[in-house]
Amino acid sequence: MTHTLILSYVTFIYFIAFVFYLFKMILQKDAWGRLASLATWLGFLAHTLAFILRWKASHDMGFGHAPLTNLYESLIFFAWSIAFLYLAVEWRIKNKSLGVFVVPVAFLLMAYASIAPGMNTRIEPLIPALQSNWLTTHVLTCFMGYAAFTVAFGCALLYLWKDKKERSAREEKSAVTQKLPSLTVLDALIYQSAALGFVFLAIGIITGSVWAHYAWGSYWSWDPKETWSLITWLVYAILLHARYVRGWRGRRLAVLAIVGFACVLFTYLGVNFLPSLHSYT
Amino acid sequence: MAKSKNLFWSFFSSVKLTVVLLFLMVLLFIVATFLPPPSDAQEINWFNDLYHSPLFYVLATLFSLNLIICSLNRLPVAVRQLNAPCFPPPAGIFDNQERERIVLSDKDMTAGEAIVKKFLSAKFSSPKKSEWKNGLLFCRERGRFSLFGVYLVHLSVLIIIAGALIGSVFGLEGSMNLREGETSSLIRLDKGRGVHQLPFSVRCDNFSVEFYDTGAPKTYRSDLSFFKNGELKQTGSVLVNHPFTFEGVRFYQASYGKADDNRALIVYNSAGKESAKITAKEGDTFDLPRQKARATVLRVEENIMGLGPAVKLDIDTGKRNIQFWVFQHIDEIARANPDLFAEVPLFNPGLFAPLVFSLERLDNRYFTGLRVVRDPGVPFVLSGGILLLCGLIIIFFTAHERIWLLLERQPEGIKISVTGRASRNQAVLERRLERLCQNLSKELAI
Repeated sequence: MTHTLILSYVTFIYFIAFVFYLFKMILQKDAWGRLASLATWLGFLAHTLAFILRWKASHDMGFGHAPLTNLYESLIFFAWSIAFLYLAVEWRIKNKSLGVFVVPVAFLLMAYASIAPGMNTRIEPLIPALQSNWLTTHVLTCFMGYAAFTVAFGCALLYLWKDKKERSAREEKSAVTQKLPSLTVLDALIYQSAALGFVFLAIGIITGSVWAHYAWGSYWSWDPKETWSLITWLVYAILLHARYVRGWRGRRLAVLAIVGFACVLFTYLGVNFLPSLHSYT
Repeated sequence: MAKSKNLFWSFFSSVKLTVVLLFLMVLLFIVATFLPPPSDAQEINWFNDLYHSPLFYVLATLFSLNLIICSLNRLPVAVRQLNAPCFPPPAGIFDNQERERIVLSDKDMTAGEAIVKKFLSAKFSSPKKSEWKNGLLFCRERGRFSLFGVYLVHLSVLIIIAGALIGSVFGLEGSMNLREGETSSLIRLDKGRGVHQLPFSVRCDNFSVEFYDTGAPKTYRSDLSFFKNGELKQTGSVLVNHPFTFEGVRFYQASYGKADDNRALIVYNSAGKESAKITAKEGDTFDLPRQKARATVLRVEENIMGLGPAVKLDIDTGKRNIQFWVFQHIDEIARANPDLFAEVPLFNPGLFAPLVFSLERLDNRYFTGLRVVRDPGVPFVLSGGILLLCGLIIIFFTAHERIWLLLERQPEGIKISVTGRASRNQAVLERRLERLCQNLSKELAI
């Protein structure tokens, strides 16, 4: 069970990375930022390795399926997608201040996966309902979407925080917020991540529909998880239209991105408390 | 268009309405997921099945109208953008040019034009050219189709709604339970809408369920035969995730269960002389070769008192009735309890001497629960979904871009100014323009 051990280290590394990002924000020393990035990269690579090892372990046990089949594995993959997308964004905007809002989400998911009571961490063969080629595509696209929404959420928090600081200290240019990405960049990032997530979630919903068509006999059954994914999708549709057609910018957009992320969390975890066909995740 | 605007049109062409409707639908869905689902078909009303309530249909209709009219309303704008000529370029497009967007060279106009053409023709289309003030103006355009991504998405949403409507009006949704060996053409429609007769009949030839070593189910499988006018037309297997289609009706493996009529294989013999094997289910009777007796199977149990499968027989000789249990594992039970037959005569399979009964096995018959669906809306919904994805990709990953390049004669050579406009992601275009300028100055320096 090497992968379990690696994953517990990864959880710890993400936490350390978060602490470094926090130091970077408070102390305004670039060295902390570099350390934080390094830690996130290390965590991400180990995370990838653990994912591959778990996949291989399932092959060695004789069933062989991508580790995307229960709540535990989905939490691990969700955290992986967030780390992946965050590192891509960090590399693109060449700014490390977003990490303080995004990396802790990855850490919390990993921590939840390892400490939640009754979490089944075993590798198990697939029950008939999950024996489908659509499983991997569906789960992959949904979680890439969720991860993009998480990045949008991080940007939105950063936006609101910076906006508030700048309003309160308009005269003496606040040293803390100076090194943050500009509000324009953050606004664009919220929009771009939300759009990316919107497309991925659309693919996720469509592949899920196709799968449901083969598995349940209906492409749409108003199952709570389906309905909530549609709710999430519509909230982001409102966000995109509000920006594109009505020209919403800045704070209002950021608030919508936060509302959208709350929907994502409910779609992912909250729905499990409602009766559902999606009982395996 | 502007003249024909009436109240109806202006109401439905507002994007505010779209946002309000989307918000109301989101609200309705949220409420709906928290309401308890109807526990049985009789209880269905619009309150606990909001997804099929008039309220939702009204919202969906308003939303469709809004989508159609908004799209129609904005279509002329898109057509104008599509047909916008390259020349003259938007006013003031070359004003306040940054230093980085200007390339100077001592080459002459002919050489300059050749190089400009070479770079602008590099991808997809060749540039348009026009005389402009004291020089030449080039324009290259790409990604025109990007303007229609939004319309594609809106159209696809309408197609999906239409497909759902077609499915709910002309579709068929129900289920049927078939015991192994049973033939039927009747399905129970969902939501207590009664029974529907299929134009063919289905027989379940076999149902099997396999388990992993862990005890988790591995495969559910029903082997079905389809008959029309008494004639076998087709056979096929239905597994979870692998439905079978016959005459446009799809059959899905949905559930299974044990049929309540377990058949017992009962054997009796008398000191090796007479013996017989009988297959019987609960309530069956059979004749015995002694005293004109008749045996009745009172009960068939899969596991009684933790002692395994057993049947309870009643033997009627006309004068008296004898009742006793016949256990499949009687030998083990008797070995474990040496005085069993003395203490509990009811457990003695030889109570009706000289015949001794034994239970060879119970045949568990399964029934398979099939979902039966015909949905003519599926092709619409599927094509709608594919169009939706294409549209989204066009909207978010392509842009309508136009690059203008002004080539002017200067006293000591030529001057090239570059600028451009993108329908979205201007930053990406700016980076491309920067690269273009670098390449031009490199080429012109030679």
